[in-house]
Order: sequence, then structure tokens, then C-alpha cells
Amino acid sequence: MSQETALDPRKWNPEIAIVPFTLDNGLQVLVLPDPTLPVVSVQVHYAVGSRHEAPGITGISHLFEHLMFRGTATLGPEEFSRRLQAKGGEVNAFTTRDHTSYFENLPAEHLELALSLEADRLKHLKLDEENFETERQVVLSERKLRCVDSPFGLVEELLFATAYTEHPYRWPIIGWDQDLRRMTLEDCLAFFRRHYQPGEMLILVAGEAEPERVRELVERYFGDLPPGSREGQRVVEPPQRGERRAVFKKVSQVEALFAGFHTVGLGHPDIYPLMVLASILSQGRACRFYQEFVRPGRAVELEAEVYPPPWTAADPDLFIIRAVAAPGEPLPRLEADLWKALETLQQEGVTELELARAKKLLRSQTVQGLARTFYRGLMVALFHLKAGDGTLANGLLMAYDAVTAEDVLRVARRYLREDNRTVVTLKPVSPEESQVLGPLC
Amino acid sequence: MAVLAAIHEAILDNGLTVLGVEYTRVPWVSLAFMCKRGAETDPPDKPGVADWTAELLTQGTSRRSQLDLARDIEALGAALAARGGWDATYVHLDGLAEDMETLVATLAEVVTTPAFPEGEFALLRERRRAELVQTADEPREVANRAFARLFFQGAPYGHAVRGELARLEALGLDDLKAWYAREFVPQEGVLVCVGMAPFPRLVAAAAEHFGAWRGGGPASPAWREAPQRLAAPGIYLLDRPELTQSEIRMGHLGLPRRHPDYFPVRLLNYILGEGGFSSRLMTRIRSELGLTYGIRSTFAWRRAPGPFVISTFTPAENTALAVREIRRVVQEVRQAGVTAQELAEAQSYYIGHFPLGLETPRAVARQVLNIGLHALGLDYLARYRERLAAVTLEEVCRAAQKHLHPEDLVTLVVGPAVRVKEPLAEIGPVTEIQAE
Repeated sequence: MSQETALDPRKWNPEIAIVPFTLDNGLQVLVLPDPTLPVVSVQVHYAVGSRHEAPGITGISHLFEHLMFRGTATLGPEEFSRRLQAKGGEVNAFTTRDHTSYFENLPAEHLELALSLEADRLKHLKLDEENFETERQVVLSERKLRCVDSPFGLVEELLFATAYTEHPYRWPIIGWDQDLRRMTLEDCLAFFRRHYQPGEMLILVAGEAEPERVRELVERYFGDLPPGSREGQRVVEPPQRGERRAVFKKVSQVEALFAGFHTVGLGHPDIYPLMVLASILSQGRACRFYQEFVRPGRAVELEAEVYPPPWTAADPDLFIIRAVAAPGEPLPRLEADLWKALETLQQEGVTELELARAKKLLRSQTVQGLARTFYRGLMVALFHLKAGDGTLANGLLMAYDAVTAEDVLRVARRYLREDNRTVVTLKPVSPEESQVLGPLC
Repeated sequence: MAVLAAIHEAILDNGLTVLGVEYTRVPWVSLAFMCKRGAETDPPDKPGVADWTAELLTQGTSRRSQLDLARDIEALGAALAARGGWDATYVHLDGLAEDMETLVATLAEVVTTPAFPEGEFALLRERRRAELVQTADEPREVANRAFARLFFQGAPYGHAVRGELARLEALGLDDLKAWYAREFVPQEGVLVCVGMAPFPRLVAAAAEHFGAWRGGGPASPAWREAPQRLAAPGIYLLDRPELTQSEIRMGHLGLPRRHPDYFPVRLLNYILGEGGFSSRLMTRIRSELGLTYGIRSTFAWRRAPGPFVISTFTPAENTALAVREIRRVVQEVRQAGVTAQELAEAQSYYIGHFPLGLETPRAVARQVLNIGLHALGLDYLARYRERLAAVTLEEVCRAAQKHLHPEDLVTLVVGPAVRVKEPLAEIGPVTEIQAE
């Protein structure tokens, strides 16, 4: 391609090439060949997340994610990361409600090293009580950081625990404090044996890599794993029949509320109008919430948010509104005006200008994401894992483009109903009062 | 696409430097205007002037109100954001490449014809007040700000860039206008564009929309000095009874960006505390002792010497142990240096990671802005890997002895005094400080 063509936005092709194959043992592989940069993103996804846990072992998926870095028969603790990082790699992992994902973004010539080390820790993981205990302490510190000492972490936990009554999305990914303390190494090993097998795995390689070469390497390093299967798990959260409210008291400078409305999972087409709706409400500066509440100083923050595809949960997720009242603004008044603003939208709909603006913002967001090999890989992998079809990633731009004003109005009326709403308010207390309420954990 | 496209440069007749990189991966443009003066030029009693000025630029121009501006920009799917930093102030406008000309025109309008509306200033002050009140709930932010204030003792780099609660009323609209009139001049400005657009087209658009701009001036002299006075080494405690973990900051004065030891120190710091699981601090404090989820050390590379700071957090009962161990790790690295293998791995990390750091237009723009700010040369990125590779073990070990000073560490703990003070006092005298 000439430089002139390469610099012409009209000639850009957003399509991600996807080459799928499956090993005899059931392991699924996706290759996204892309020669534009000499890098690859190697991703190993396991279809197990906090939803597959049970009370008593909440947080085990995430704790186990940490343990995967603690060494193998031949590698010491964290040696996995060190080796790959020494090649220029970005090495990390994350756990969600639906899956656990490990990745290495690195120069293309180290593809084999990444795959061989991923296979090594899957086949030869070595754990003992000592490194299990160390990692438990690390995760407890992480929980304090993200949840306990963070301004709204525990408020958000209470929102999910209140909005979901039966579905396992009700507990936090990082787990409850006491579960983290009582979990044993044996629990973790049983979890590992059950879920870390070909039936629940997806390997994805994006970037400068030939599909045939990837097939050969994956076959070499993972082909000898015994076949596995994916456990079906279907839990349906019963429809919410009336508003639920809860209060959380902690030391805070501000009053806040977190509201959640049950919506849809990633595979449902309503996720696109819901994204447009969230954008109209709170993306950028011309949006409704910024102009009505944030700019005039009534709210420090007022965000409407649904996890964007492909991050949306597999099962119906929450559309969340997060309002942090400015000092001096009574929360009840802010809340009443917030619901009024939603009612207005539900009665009058959105304007064509608002719709066009939101769609263009979402298009921009998607285009920007496509600049990263890692993100291209995630898009395809997460659609594949959660909606059963990785090619949905290629439909994202069109899906946003197809949303109409009627769609936005329909989802606003259907999902943002009072009966479908859970509200948790943060009520500030003094350090002394906080002490009387008992320890935070 | 080659890993590294060339950085092009043009200087407009009014003295404005234009730096561009032609980028072909996605149809995006990242535009940024940089004024090479930042919060270090805030008047001493008026912290926040540079940053508020930047923010107010986005709140209306001589042609458009804040709402019209936001609507027009967002109708293109673009995003406008401005902020003050240390050594420079930035106005970013990112959008789709098909709109490049409109985006350049809009950025020029924002940068060169601000309206400084009175009403928007009043609202901005209230938003900042609310934000600063809320910041007190974020332990990490509290620790970062308290450390800078404590460490720099009133010198530039010590105050909070976004303003300070106790001195909000000291700032007036006239201060912002005066700061803008003084510091926003084409000769101290750099326009950066990284995107799917041919450089000549960018220069033509820049000339059309920025060419007639003269600005005010004369800009403040660039701040390059080391502060006269710093906090005395020792342990300081900011009591936050409600916290379950302590935030820990330990630091001393670092080096300016143009220091000849930049590359050895960068590699040294990767090994000490920047390199994640490859770093000594992470290995000792997290992997071996399980005291924290995260720890890192940072040299803040600024025009004048910035701070070198180690940052972590740990459950309150571990605080004194963590402080002791961190100090021990710094001492070890200073005295015994690093190993040849550690150095080789640090070098191969930076060299191997180089293309990954240039994947997005925004990331490339960040590099180009830095090159422009510190006059690192248009060949900086082209020579970056060879410069890193040329650093020897002796140079890194010498840098450790010369630039790490464990005895000078100023240690700040933000945590519950009832649980941390006594154990800390066994290490040395503890001085309690108050929040802002």
C-alpha cells in the first residue's frame, strides 16, 4: 500500500481477520493475523470467573489467577513474568465475573516462548503452603486497596449484593474478606483441576503471526492435554419486583448514591441502544448529566454506565448510575432531580442531534481501540467466550450505527424503571461513629 | 507500517513549532497544543492558576459558548481536554482523521481566542472545591499531595496542580487571564499531531489557523533550579484513623530530565522498582513478604530536579516492617549495585517493548510532546534503543551510588496513628503532620 493510500481515512478497513481452529482435545484457538506491527498478543482465556464460585469460596477465581504466577516444576515464583518481561513483554492477567484471562503482549519473535510458558504453568504448576499464604496476603492487601479503603468500593459491592438475589453476580470478583481468609490450598487445587482444561480454554494470538505457525505451536505445546468439557451453568436472576434500597455508612467527605437497573447480557442486541443511552446521559461535556448537574456544581460526578461490549457480562448486567453530591447539595434533592431527568427522557425521547453525537462518540471509541493489537484480540476473544461468536467484534461499528432514537427510547422505558432499580446510598459518618459500627473488611 | 515513522518538524512564521508523525493504523488524529510553562509558574500563593487557565480555555471562545463548543466537538466524536502539568500546560483534541482540518481549526480557536467567561470561572471554582473535598477520601491521592507539599517545603513542584482547598478564594479570573497573557506565546508553544494525515496538509492547516497568532509574553523564565530547602530526612505521619492500610511514600530529590545519567538511572530504576516483578522492591515486598499488592519507584523527570519516590501501601500492622525493608532494598542496591543479568534484562525489556509503546496515536503523541518539551532531538526515538543498549554495568552501579541516597529518604505514612506510630518510632523519631 502506498503511503498516500495508507494515509487516506476513506481507504481504512476496520475488519479484523479471524482464523479459527480446534485441537482434537477440544481446545479452541483463534488467530488474528495482522502484519502491520512486529508484535503479538498471546491470550489464554479460561471460561471460569466469579460466577462459577459458591459462597465460602468467593474470590477463588481471582486468587487462583495470582497463583498461576507462583512457579512451576522448573520456574520459581514470578519467574514466568520475569522471563517474558525481559523480552519486552507486557505480562498480566485479569479475572472477571465470567472468565479469567492471561496475556502476554510482546515482540512477534517471542510467540513460541509465550505459548511454551503458558503450557508449562498449566501442566506443571507447583504450589505449596508457603507461597499460597504469601499470595493470600497480597490479595487481602488488594481487597483493602480496591474495596475497603477506596471511596466507593464497598458501596458498589453492596449494590450488586442487593440487586442480585440468586445470580452469582451478587458477590464481588475479589471475594468476601472472610472467604479469602478461610480458603485452603486444597480448595484452589480442586478448582484448578476442574476448570483449567481444554474444554474451558480459548487461546488467541493476534498480530504478526501466521495461522499455520500458531497451529503448529499450539499443537506442540497443548496438543497432549487430555480432552475436557465445558460445564453448562445457567442461573437466571428472577425479575425484580419493586425498588430495593440500602444504606452504607462510612467516613466520607461526600454523600453519594449508586443505582443499578437490570438490563441484558453481551449477546443481546439491546446492549447497543443502552450504550447510546448512557452516552447521551453522561459521555463528554455536551451530555445531559454534565450540563444539568456537574457543570453547575450540584454533583462532583454523575455517570451513567453499562459495561461496553465486549466487557458487558454474559448474563444480564446492571446499568449503573453513580452520583456523587457536591458538598452542600442534599443527596435526596439530587436524587429526586436525577429521576426527574430520566422521566423527561422517557417521556420526550432523545433528539436526532443527541443520537448522532452519541453514535459518533461510540464510533470514535471503537476506532481508537482498534489501534491496539491487545484490544483487537480481547474484542474477538470476549465476544467468543461470552456471546459464542467472535465475529460479533466486526459488527460493532455497524451495530452502533444502526441504533435509532426509537431504540433508545424503548430501552430507556423498558429498563430504567423504578421497580427494576436498586439504590445504595453512602451516608458519611465521623471516624468515631465509624468505629462504633464495627470494623470495615 | 514501520515501527517508527519519522517525526517531522516545521516552524511557523510566528515561531510556533509543529511536530507531526504520519500514522496509518487507524483513522485517528491526536492533536495537542503544549505551552512550555506549567504549574511551576503558578504564583506562590495561588496554586492552580496554570491548570485552571487550561480548563477555562475549554469553557468558551470568542465565537462559541462552552455548550456550543462541546456540542460541535462531540458531534465529530472528538474529545477536548486541557490540563496543567509540571513544566508545561496541554490542550488535547483527539478525533477521527476525516475531520483533521476542522480539529486543527477548533484547537486553534480554543488556544488563541479564549473568552474567559466570568460565569464559567465561578462554576469552575465550585467544581474544583467539590473535587478537592472529595479527594480527601482517596488515600493514594492524599498521600501523593501530602508528600509533595512536605517534601518541597513551598518550592515549585510542591503544591497541588489542580489547586488547594485553603487557597481557592485567592484565585481570581484576572490571575488566569494574566497567566495566559504571559505564558501562552507561539515561541514557547508546540503543536503536535499524530494521525492518519499527511504532514504537509497538517502544516498547511496549522499555518492557516495558528499562523496569525501573536500571543502575549514575555513568558516566565523556565524553572531549572534545585530547591533551596527540602524537608529534613525522617519519618512523618499523617493520621487517618479510619484506614485499614497505610499509604507509604519514601523519597529524596532526583535529577532533571536533561541529566547525562538519564539512561543509566532509568535502567537502574527499572531494576530497583519500576520493572514490576523484575524489580527488587516488588520481589522483596510483594513476592517474598506478601506485604502489598503493589510497589514502585519513580524518578519524576522534569526540567528541574523532580522527586525520586517509592510508593506502596500495606495493611496497617505491616507498616513499620515495610518501611524497614524498603530502606534495606535501596541500601543494598546502592552498595552492591545490580547484576549483569538484571541489566541485560532491563535493557532487553525497554528495547523489546519499544514497538508496543508506539501502537496508538495518543502514545506516540505523548512521546513527541516529551521530545518537544525537553528538546531531545527529532532523532531521539530512532536512537533510543541504541542509547539504552550502550549503557554499561559500571555506569549503572556508579549511578546507584551517586543518585540513590537511603540516608536522605523522607518517609511519609498516611494511616491510623494508633496502630502505626509506635512501631514506626522504633525506627526513628516520628513527626506528625496535618492534612492541608
